[in-house]
Amino acid sequence: MTKARRSLVPYALLTPGLAWLVVFFAIPLFYMAQISLKEGTVDTGYEFTWHFQTYVDAISNYRVQLLRSFEYAGLSTLISLLVGYPLAYAIAFRGGRYRNALLLVVILPFFTTYLVRTLSWQTILDDDGIVVNVLQGVGLLGPDGRLLATTSAVVAGITYNFLPFMILPLYAALERIDPRMLEAAYDLYSKRRDVVMRVVVPMSAPGIVAGVLLTFIPAAGDFVNAELLGTPRQAMIGNVIQSRYLEITDYPTAAALSFILMLLILVLVLLYARFVGTETLTGAEEAPA
Amino acid sequence: MKSDFERRLDELIGEELTRRRLLRRGAAGAMSVSAIAYLAACGDETSKPKGGGQAPIKKGTIAKTLFFSNWPLYIDVDDKTKKRPTLDKFQRKYGTKVKYVEEINDNTEFFGKVRQEYAGGTSGGRDLHVVTDWMCARMERLGYVQRFDKAQMPNAVNNIEDAVARPDFDPKREFSMPWQSGQVGLIYRKDKTGGDLTSINDLFDKRFKGKVTMLTEMRDSVGSVLLGEGIQPEKATKDQVMQAIEKIEKFSKDGQIRRFTGNEYTKDILKGDSYAILGWSGDAIQLTSDNKNVRFRRPEDGFMVFTDSMQIPVGAPHAFTAQKMIDFVYDPEIQAAITAYVNYVPPVKGTKEVLRKSDPELAEDTLIFPDLAKAHNFKTFSATDEREIDEAFQRAIGA
Repeated sequence: MTKARRSLVPYALLTPGLAWLVVFFAIPLFYMAQISLKEGTVDTGYEFTWHFQTYVDAISNYRVQLLRSFEYAGLSTLISLLVGYPLAYAIAFRGGRYRNALLLVVILPFFTTYLVRTLSWQTILDDDGIVVNVLQGVGLLGPDGRLLATTSAVVAGITYNFLPFMILPLYAALERIDPRMLEAAYDLYSKRRDVVMRVVVPMSAPGIVAGVLLTFIPAAGDFVNAELLGTPRQAMIGNVIQSRYLEITDYPTAAALSFILMLLILVLVLLYARFVGTETLTGAEEAPA
Repeated sequence: MKSDFERRLDELIGEELTRRRLLRRGAAGAMSVSAIAYLAACGDETSKPKGGGQAPIKKGTIAKTLFFSNWPLYIDVDDKTKKRPTLDKFQRKYGTKVKYVEEINDNTEFFGKVRQEYAGGTSGGRDLHVVTDWMCARMERLGYVQRFDKAQMPNAVNNIEDAVARPDFDPKREFSMPWQSGQVGLIYRKDKTGGDLTSINDLFDKRFKGKVTMLTEMRDSVGSVLLGEGIQPEKATKDQVMQAIEKIEKFSKDGQIRRFTGNEYTKDILKGDSYAILGWSGDAIQLTSDNKNVRFRRPEDGFMVFTDSMQIPVGAPHAFTAQKMIDFVYDPEIQAAITAYVNYVPPVKGTKEVLRKSDPELAEDTLIFPDLAKAHNFKTFSATDEREIDEAFQRAIGA
């Protein structure tokens, strides 16, 4: 192979991926940025005027929903981590020959669409449904209490829908841990608790980081759960964007809100990466000081 | 102190200058592509549809095909053959094969879908669409629809029901012809409410807290609340409308109103998640047959009526044939078959008489043939006011 041809190979290999990103990410993003700086209405048409005020107005009008989105996403991520970690651990270390079957069970809900799964939660949480009746029976819920159309329902729905995104990276990280490491820790008279906290958790950190990101980011932008399991009092920023875009045809504000959401998530992710460190994200070990 | 990862990153960047060059070139390419697209988009958005709006539809010949956009379950279907008898009759009479597409689920969503095409003066092949009053008004205001030649529509001229013949946005019915109308009323479960609901204000009864739902259609919910206040929605001022929205917001915030729905309220009320709601007459017939305790009642304060109308978009390839189709469904015999299937209120005089012969029970049903003395429409506000009202309502319902 000649030198010239060899230097062309990487370009050729990169072309499909880059083209994909350009067409489906860069161009739409550019459009959205452009729309967000326009002014006007459906009747008058939209004109590009560098109208940054839209961003200011969007933040002041929808601060509540923005904060709520991050609150719900944060809660769901935390619950997913607390629920998912023991499960991933059990599958990785105690699963034995059932490992693959157990993983399949974790992914199984994905065989049905997101929307149908959330709709069936409506039925499960019905005011006259079995869950509410049982909880009322044992006195955990008042006679007039309900689950559907509450904050708990929305957070639970988000948690359920994104739980596999937490479990799978956790499992991948835990499964890579060499069991001899644990044996070594025990040999050095480590207590069970210390083995978990000082060996297993740090070594599975890349999984935790990936799981948290994969859960938190889509959860913050979610609107299906708030729409189907909540009330107007649980509206998230996704619901606002949808209504701005489709109901009011206020494209600039919808686009601006999308950007604000994206930027806020980016900032949070950067802070998180800074705090936890990029090493854990890539799985590279800490360089000796 | 650099971490291992950062060091490796430095190496990669330092060694492979080509990579950076590639990236830059890639970015430049992206810019030029989107610059072209950007210019194209600019053209799209500023251009207004050409002509159309004012001159009536020219006389022409009947076309071989017709593209008719409508809402799902809004025309008669033969349960056995799955064919649509009304369209077959049209084909037998005029030889036109109708391409009937059930693509409209929501007024604003449909508007978003066709906006660019309609603004560019092409209809995307559509010859007829059916949208609700206020959207008809918007389509007309934007010059997206054609003016009818009423001389070519004798049935429509003679048979239109007086109640829907002169809306404020189209007083001579030159740009829109009603397809079906529906009533907005109280739907409730008598077993749960322990009595009948008679007024809109019963929805604000504390006993029903958390079991009340209202409609996401702004005009249906706000109009009804206005009637509860004793205000006629066709004469309401913007301030009165805003006050009604505030009232809705207050009851939504304190949990009286559980949520705002479209058709999905049918599921909620059957399960008992809601039992005192605002709903549409066309659904009520089905609901009462599903559950004997479900009642539909027109509130004594008066009730809202909405009308979905046919329009011919600018650029429709077969406008003359579309006009014939509109006139065709204004034949009471034809209309009766549609009404018997969809159970909404027909806009065609004489439908009741035809149904009396074929289906006497249906002909006496007040859900289909209501006393329109207490029926009300929502006022058509200016574009700016409408936008302000829409925004306030969307905020009230949480988004």
